[in-house]
Amino acid sequence: MSERPGEHGYYDYPVVKRPVWTWEIPVYFWLGGIGSGAFITSSLAQRFGSEEDARSLADGFYIAAAALLPCTPLLIMDLGRADRFHHMLRVFKPLSPMNLGAWTLAMFTPVAIARAAALAADRGLLPRVAPMLTALVPRGLSELAGSLLGITLAGYTGVLLAATNIPIWAKSKLLGGLFTASALASGSAAVSLGATLRSVEDAPLHRLSKIESAVSLAELALVAGYVGQSGRAGRPLTVQRLALPFWLGAVGAGTVLPLLLHRLAATRSGARLRRLSTLASLCALGGSLALRWTVFEAGKESANDQAASFELSS
Amino acid sequence: MIDSYRRLMNLQKQPEPRGLKGFFTDTSLCIGCKACEVACKQWNQLPADGYAMTGNSYDNTGALGATTWRHVEFIEQVKQNGNRDQQRWLMMSDVCKHCANAACLEACPTGSLVRTEFGTVYIQQDICNGCGFCVPACPFGVIDRAPRDGQFEAGTAHKCTLCYDRLKDDMTPACAKSCPTASIQFGDVAELQQRARARLGELQARGETSARLYGMPEGREAAEVGPLHAFFLLLDKPAAYNLPEVPRLPRKTMGERYRWSAVVGVGFALVGALVFGRRSR
Repeated sequence: MSERPGEHGYYDYPVVKRPVWTWEIPVYFWLGGIGSGAFITSSLAQRFGSEEDARSLADGFYIAAAALLPCTPLLIMDLGRADRFHHMLRVFKPLSPMNLGAWTLAMFTPVAIARAAALAADRGLLPRVAPMLTALVPRGLSELAGSLLGITLAGYTGVLLAATNIPIWAKSKLLGGLFTASALASGSAAVSLGATLRSVEDAPLHRLSKIESAVSLAELALVAGYVGQSGRAGRPLTVQRLALPFWLGAVGAGTVLPLLLHRLAATRSGARLRRLSTLASLCALGGSLALRWTVFEAGKESANDQAASFELSS
Repeated sequence: MIDSYRRLMNLQKQPEPRGLKGFFTDTSLCIGCKACEVACKQWNQLPADGYAMTGNSYDNTGALGATTWRHVEFIEQVKQNGNRDQQRWLMMSDVCKHCANAACLEACPTGSLVRTEFGTVYIQQDICNGCGFCVPACPFGVIDRAPRDGQFEAGTAHKCTLCYDRLKDDMTPACAKSCPTASIQFGDVAELQQRARARLGELQARGETSARLYGMPEGREAAEVGPLHAFFLLLDKPAAYNLPEVPRLPRKTMGERYRWSAVVGVGFALVGALVFGRRSR
């Protein structure tokens, strides 16, 4: 049979199935990313920073606990059979990113809560149980364990989407790296926001600002690489309905604006530094949600893209 | 110790292997009667999918799904030129391929999806929690989650079981049993493969040069997902039947995707250590 121009598949029917997940998943990716990034940022400040850094940038432990608490309920809500959520942990099967993620979240959440409780004790907020917490929660060890679990949590989400046959998720090698960068950017932004609200010295804010700039720059490079590698399969995200929230929200507000604001903030101090820093943090946090949301939604449209499916599997 | 770990992780002893069973679907024999669709629905007690007309030939089924485990495609190749010799009507009964390396099975986080003693891929309905990860993982778009508000096994994933219950009793799966032209043949995979090769030779000798097998161990389509335990004889290129040329197994590329996550994580730690470290205590 001769080739029929423009007609390759079976009518215009999709080759793969549309993902059944709903809004809980991108919101979970976002919150889990903030929690991981904030925990790691505060741990780095504890381990490598000055005493001033360690004191002023410890709020990441609170933020991590607060961001991780709604994650498990969100994931349970998205299940087809919520009453069987615990079946996720009936096997240990790290080959499945979904299983790895469930185990990681199940272990990271208590670590983050324990470390946040220890911080509260250190700050004299829990006088009754403080001695017990000090004895039970080894600071350094919980930071190391939490950071490793955190980077796993931030790192598996993009890979989970990529480990499917949805063209826009599966084509590029960089979605895992991109989501990790977005998690670290939003997490460090949340720590910066917390520090600004607590009116700390300028120096820790400047140092954190440098780290945020570096991660925003990495995210910008990764998003460019992701769009480039996705090619034609990336069209639901780059030129169709989601193009505006993607380019303006995820890329513009999420990476470019924070970069510019941090650049301005580098030479400022006092109230102006705080204003610029707050603005940059809010942009990064919003952009991070926009990235997860648009990539997630684009996957549903990409599933219907018959030509992209054939290209992916050629 | 190991025994208690096995009990804890539900790693029970597997049933004795009973040989690889599968389908050989010879589309050159299919007459599009949809007896397989009906027999499958009846035996497996799957509800009807409504009476929507697609307008695409006789295909009002549309796609495989949670309550549709056989799907007959109708491919009308009549518009391409005026030559009546070139016009033809292809039919094909699509089904779960029961891949040797199954993407759905590898994706499943609960261990609900298992490989049975017949080498088939089966969803244990009492284990599945409806996480939905197998749905986009399947390169063929076979498996789907039943709606949470539906009447039928709400919220869990479903697909062809290769009539696991019938196989247990040495019976032929319902679709193959009902097929009036032997387009759907059931049996041992190795024997079916032999039969398929012979049939292909026969058709080619008769001048049917566009005939090809899809899902054999030597085929390009087996590169990642392995041989398909439900494989096909096609009369056109796979894409004409909406079959991918090289179905992807996500695991094959997962490592390099994780690597970029790790690179970003390590890079962040290094930058953090460097920036904070200059004022180390």
